[in-house]
Amino acid sequence: MSDQTAQQDSLIDELPGELMMWVLIISELLVFGAGLLVFMAVRLTDPEGFAEAQSHLYRTGAALNTVVLITSGFLAAQALAWRRTAERLKARLALIAAAALGVVFLVIKGAEYAGKAAQGISYETHPFFMFYYLLTGFHAAHVVAGVAILLLVSWRDSPRNIETGAQFWHMVDLVWVLLFPVVYLLG
Amino acid sequence: MSDQTRTNISAKPNTLLTAWGLLIALSLGSALLTALNLPPKLTGGLVLLLALLKSRLILARYLDLAHAPRWLSGFTTTLTLFAIVLFGLFLV
Repeated sequence: MSDQTAQQDSLIDELPGELMMWVLIISELLVFGAGLLVFMAVRLTDPEGFAEAQSHLYRTGAALNTVVLITSGFLAAQALAWRRTAERLKARLALIAAAALGVVFLVIKGAEYAGKAAQGISYETHPFFMFYYLLTGFHAAHVVAGVAILLLVSWRDSPRNIETGAQFWHMVDLVWVLLFPVVYLLG
Repeated sequence: MSDQTRTNISAKPNTLLTAWGLLIALSLGSALLTALNLPPKLTGGLVLLLALLKSRLILARYLDLAHAPRWLSGFTTTLTLFAIVLFGLFLV
């Protein structure tokens, strides 16, 4: 084995958890990152229209959802720490609580979408809303998947399973903290 | 399990709790910034900076890259460049 290959191996070995989850995390960051860059680029064509459209968003609900996801991520990380010290019941309860907070996130998001629908706002109203529904909707789909994964690993609760499930959930969290300021705050 | 490993695991909850507290504080900071009537460009820059700090905390503590400093550095550099490009597009 050459020195270069050995160095690459050791670099990959440094990554905690499942390598494939890191491939997924990087891929998702690239997809959402590209979406946010295109969003900001299209905004240049109509900054006033984007700012006006953004003023219709429910910022308080989205900020609350940030707190919800951050807390849920903490519980998922804590569950892994507890499982590694063989505190199995605590770990399972933490995972279920993390999943419940994921549901809270979806309820708040659903209320936000319902509010937009009641105002007659759809993805066709303005290009801003097309990106808004595309980016937040795709993220919400990941939250749904994450809730299912958290519940699954609370049942099949080996440390490795919990670590993999928590990695997925932290990715959802990570994407949200980047998406929220761009879509909701940069007017 | 070595004594050192055992010490690291038992210390982890406090590290996670601290990270959670910092993430909440940074989120409140974002909310506060948008409530103040600062110039929009300044608000935008600061909000992106806080988002960058939050993403680094999630990578370092929740995703445990604090124990893989080269990867943490790579992610931080990439995300910083990403935030700079976003801020550049915001300023245009």
